[in-house]
Amino acid sequence: MERVVITGLGAISSLGLGAENNFEQALAAKSGIDYLNLSFKQQVEGCVAAQIKFPLPELVKRAELSLFDRFSMLGWIAASEAIQQSGVALETTLLDQSGVFWGTGMGGATTLESGYIDLFLEGKNRIRPLSIIASMNNSPAAQIALRCGFGGTVNTYSSACVSSAQAIGEAYRHIKHGYAHRILAGGSEALLTFGMVTAWDSMKVMANANPEHPEQSCLPFSVNRSGLVLGEAGAAVMLESLSSAQARGATILAELAGYGSSNDATHMTNPNPAGQARAMEMAITTAGLSKSDIGYINAHGAGTPTGDVAEAESIKRVFGEHAKRLMVSSTKAVHGHTLGAAAAIEFVLTVQALRSKSIPPTAFLQEPDPLCDLDFVPLHARYDQPITAAMSNSFAFGGSNAALIVKEFS
Amino acid sequence: MTTFQTVAKLLAERLEIDVNTIQPDTSLESLGADSLSVMELIFDLEDEFKISLGDERPTLVVVQDIVEHIERYLKQSAEQ
Repeated sequence: MERVVITGLGAISSLGLGAENNFEQALAAKSGIDYLNLSFKQQVEGCVAAQIKFPLPELVKRAELSLFDRFSMLGWIAASEAIQQSGVALETTLLDQSGVFWGTGMGGATTLESGYIDLFLEGKNRIRPLSIIASMNNSPAAQIALRCGFGGTVNTYSSACVSSAQAIGEAYRHIKHGYAHRILAGGSEALLTFGMVTAWDSMKVMANANPEHPEQSCLPFSVNRSGLVLGEAGAAVMLESLSSAQARGATILAELAGYGSSNDATHMTNPNPAGQARAMEMAITTAGLSKSDIGYINAHGAGTPTGDVAEAESIKRVFGEHAKRLMVSSTKAVHGHTLGAAAAIEFVLTVQALRSKSIPPTAFLQEPDPLCDLDFVPLHARYDQPITAAMSNSFAFGGSNAALIVKEFS
Repeated sequence: MTTFQTVAKLLAERLEIDVNTIQPDTSLESLGADSLSVMELIFDLEDEFKISLGDERPTLVVVQDIVEHIERYLKQSAEQ
């Protein structure tokens, strides 16, 4: 079976453009969260979000813009960076064994909603002709494949907040078992629209804004946490079989060593520590590591009252005594919950943490919840940490769980 | 502005090309306009001329084909 290595990273989020930039902001506990500013005439009162407020780089021709919903654009921006870094952009071989595995939760929400505004609100009787092509969930995967000439398997995973963990994990399995040599994997989400945010707001799972410091509204594992903060992002990793990466002399950043997946099968929204534990156990087993080899976990840690307690419980269940020595942080405190992109951006940060031996903190964690009694790396980054393997957890509405393990390449 | 000038202007904007390179007998393909971008162009032209081209799916090969398609509808709406 093939080993799977990572040769490129890409990210764009409210923290900024570029994987390195995102990592530096996360290390510095600088938050991209602020009051949401919608282009629509109505606003969602008092809502905070991790919104990308800077102009996006212009990577496609104006004539092609109608094909791109914002989630596809974020996807292509992240994918381009990963492909450029890997050097695969210049490759003309193995294109038929190169694929794209992508994740998204709500797909082209912006395009759909603007179509509905035209139809229901503005009294128009038609919607822009490319609305379907732009909003379909597989649009970013198809655009990436088209632009890179990747003629192998191109799949899209839509399982709420684990979408891009499944994309990366299933890509790992695909390469490991010889179905492809190269897969650009990741996810993107852009659902900060009036209708979407209102729908999330109705679920009563969103954090209250901190009126003095809106950037400090997402408080994973804190006794003061009040919910999640929605965000938008795109993130990507270039995955390759070790044999093809070595054949072309690629710089190997790390090894994607393990993936585990499970479903709680107990409730649509209430998390279940047993289900989460099954995903983590499977990831550790497939990686061929012992539990004590894991030095850092980038937690799902969305900042919801029940979710964070369940995750602390599942980590303790899996790691036993080692749980006390593990560093666990949630970077959602700074980049929010980016749903279909969440696992991908957190995996990109985890890879950089492993490479730099620097652990991003759980920002703004002044007072941890006594029910969440792990080392959450509160407030400040830790440098020079001798970690050789790290895990990224993702859990979703619908009960899906996923864990990815990255280790040093040797 | 003639119908041709309006069509050429929107084509140039959409395809990011110099409007002077567009002649009535210029093929859409040579301008880099595929079937999807022509659909979007027609949508914008309907807005521009405040007409509805309906369900007809004409074969559009050169720029003049679009111009004639629009003018046929403009004439119809003038007669109504």
